[in-house]
Amino acid sequence: MFNQLFGNIWLVTLASGAVIMGFLTVNALFLVWLERKLSARFQRRLGPTEVGFAGTLQTLADAVKLLGKQLITPRNADKPLYHLAPVIVFMPVVVGVSLFPIDRQLMFVDLNVGLVLVFAFAGIGFIGIFMAGWGSNNKYALLGAMRAVAQNIAYEIPLILSALSVTLLARSMKLSAIVEAQSTLPYLLFQPLGAAIYLIGAVAETNRAPFDIPEAESELVAGFHSEYSGMRFAVFFLAEYSNMAIVSMVATTLFLGGYHGPWLPGYVWFFIKVYGLISLMMWFRWTFPRLRFDQLMSFAWTVLVPLSLANLMGTAVVLKVFRR
Amino acid sequence: MTATTRAKTNYLVTVLGGLFSLLAGMLITLRNLFRRPVTEQYPKSKPALSKNFRSAIALVRFEETQTHDCVACMQCVQICPSFCIAIEGDKPEGLKRKRATEFHVDYALCSVCGLCIDVCPTNTLKYSRVYDQVAYRRDAFVYDLLTEFRDAEVAYLEKARQEAAAKEAAKQAAAAARANKDTAPAAANASKELEND
Repeated sequence: MFNQLFGNIWLVTLASGAVIMGFLTVNALFLVWLERKLSARFQRRLGPTEVGFAGTLQTLADAVKLLGKQLITPRNADKPLYHLAPVIVFMPVVVGVSLFPIDRQLMFVDLNVGLVLVFAFAGIGFIGIFMAGWGSNNKYALLGAMRAVAQNIAYEIPLILSALSVTLLARSMKLSAIVEAQSTLPYLLFQPLGAAIYLIGAVAETNRAPFDIPEAESELVAGFHSEYSGMRFAVFFLAEYSNMAIVSMVATTLFLGGYHGPWLPGYVWFFIKVYGLISLMMWFRWTFPRLRFDQLMSFAWTVLVPLSLANLMGTAVVLKVFRR
Repeated sequence: MTATTRAKTNYLVTVLGGLFSLLAGMLITLRNLFRRPVTEQYPKSKPALSKNFRSAIALVRFEETQTHDCVACMQCVQICPSFCIAIEGDKPEGLKRKRATEFHVDYALCSVCGLCIDVCPTNTLKYSRVYDQVAYRRDAFVYDLLTEFRDAEVAYLEKARQEAAAKEAAKQAAAAARANKDTAPAAANASKELEND
């Protein structure tokens, strides 16, 4: 769509980048507000009420406050790593968002390896997290970063395996083709186990409760971003909430039929599904207690990985036997 | 049943039980999501106080007189363990009963024990329901309890004086009548005697 509009690939890239950055910022502001509001209601509190209608502008005010804060760099920090880490964490997210079909005619880039690219860029983010933890020269930040990397490697495997079984069904890694294949029924009905594994893995990937061990406040201050202040901290926050949006977009595309849905226009359905999943993740966070680290790792390696492997094998066998 | 299969069924039971407990927990948070928040937006909405709420003492305003009934007996001053009550009293002109002319309570000292309320012979002391007093100086907590009664007190005293005067007049009239009664029978007898004659 944008290619036909502009013709110039650089202009298109620039415009898409600007649109996605704007979307991600508004998305993060909205999600922080939603999280605070939902957590409050789950605990029978009111949450933000003062700034704007029902506190909607509270996060904007917080963002302005963060912009005005002093950026502190620890004296013994590894400066290049420390300064580069927030960028490395955030940039893959921008690329990731551009890959999803938001509507039949609305997507920024349509690649035939879209699914691979999504997970590849998600993987780059963890390098950024480890850079932040290492560069901070702080034992808590380093411990948090180590946990984050270990956890993310452990959960990436079942995540990708469950996504693979969907590509077997759709016979494509092109995200638009996967969505088109679900025009009648979403893959959630054919892959309930895969969807469940994906959801668990996605919560772990975004480092959210009950898998928020890398940021366990009671043990690690704030985990890998303990030493970051002001806008650098805000970028980590932005990346965290954008990652929530991305894993939800992947889940929407793979299991919930993307933009397909009755009556409403496609992009409305897409965002309804994405924000519904995000709300579900917030619901998890404010319900479940945090896992212990060994529980988390053994759950990933001894339960999720075998289950997702079995799911992939089962899917392959069933497809080989029954398809045409 | 061998040990391994039992262990396996136990494992399955554990997993399913754990899954059920997760769902149960989510149901609890969901239920709370739709319940009313319990937050009290304090300056915007005031809390509902308990019936037994105690705060600084205040004077009771009686229905019939529209004023307090402190007779400056000083019993509350004497019983107060915190020495926070200061009263001055005087007999108003034309009246025989004492009335309080000054009534100060230092709420910064008061421990809200309620002994003054128990000891009051005219039941004119009660707990007030104020709870959010704020000040920069301690002496701001010395309350003059009579301020709100000034006008009512003047009216009451005027009325009491009139009543007292009326009572006095009635008393005098009665006395005069009694004096007349004392002389009247004699006069009647005298008139009778006159008739008989």
